[in-house]
Amino acid sequence: MSLMPSCVDMARILSEARDSGRPLGAHARLHLWVCEVCRRVRVQFDVLARAARSAPEAGPGLSEQAKERLRRSLEPPTL
Amino acid sequence: MPTSDPKTWVDQHGDRLFRYALSRVRDEAAAEDLIQETFLAALKSKDRFKGDSSELTWMTGILRNKIFEHYRRQSKDVPLGDPDDDRESAFFEGRHWSASDAPREWPQGKAESAEFSVALRMCLDALTAPVARAFVLREMEGVEPKEAAAALGVPPGHLAVLLYRARMRLRRCLEKNHFAPGPA
Repeated sequence: MSLMPSCVDMARILSEARDSGRPLGAHARLHLWVCEVCRRVRVQFDVLARAARSAPEAGPGLSEQAKERLRRSLEPPTL
Repeated sequence: MPTSDPKTWVDQHGDRLFRYALSRVRDEAAAEDLIQETFLAALKSKDRFKGDSSELTWMTGILRNKIFEHYRRQSKDVPLGDPDDDRESAFFEGRHWSASDAPREWPQGKAESAEFSVALRMCLDALTAPVARAFVLREMEGVEPKEAAAALGVPPGHLAVLLYRARMRLRRCLEKNHFAPGPA
């Protein structure tokens, strides 16, 4: 039985390593050394994380009706 | 430090807060409710606003907590889905990447463009809610895994599965849509 993780294993290992903060084990590092495709996956997970954190807030703003509802909700209650 | 007049909050901060909420809860009505809850919470605690940060940053912090509460409520109401739903296995043939789904090289500049952010947002919208929420909490909000798992009401091992699915599906979606080779 090979100790070297497969590409299937590597995808999970690379994802979990991002969250655990633990360094990759020797066999996983060896796999990355020989497998260009899994190296790309690691880079792509990094790109996704960077893009997610820096993504500008885009899209529509509040509608005028929604703004009006919110303004009313902030008004002090009248007795 | 006094806040600005609450009567001006909707016009000053409404749109920015709404976009922030909408990108995380993906539902306009829910986003609007969260803004309302945020303004009301800010109104209640405005005397405690110290002015260490901008008013918008202070309100965004309140909104962020409201979004976590929303996620917790949603996790109770909406089943998390079948934990064995493993469509990522289709990306592989045996123990290796399949020829059709093997990740390709992403051109560097293209991954940092504004178009990439738009494509990422579209791909995020295509994820199932639990998978998208896990990604938003962990990668957009930078929440620690333990805290994110608690917010989603799942054990840490399940969060790891959700994040794996999110990353794999997002990379595949971006490759198919944003990085698709142009016509020859």
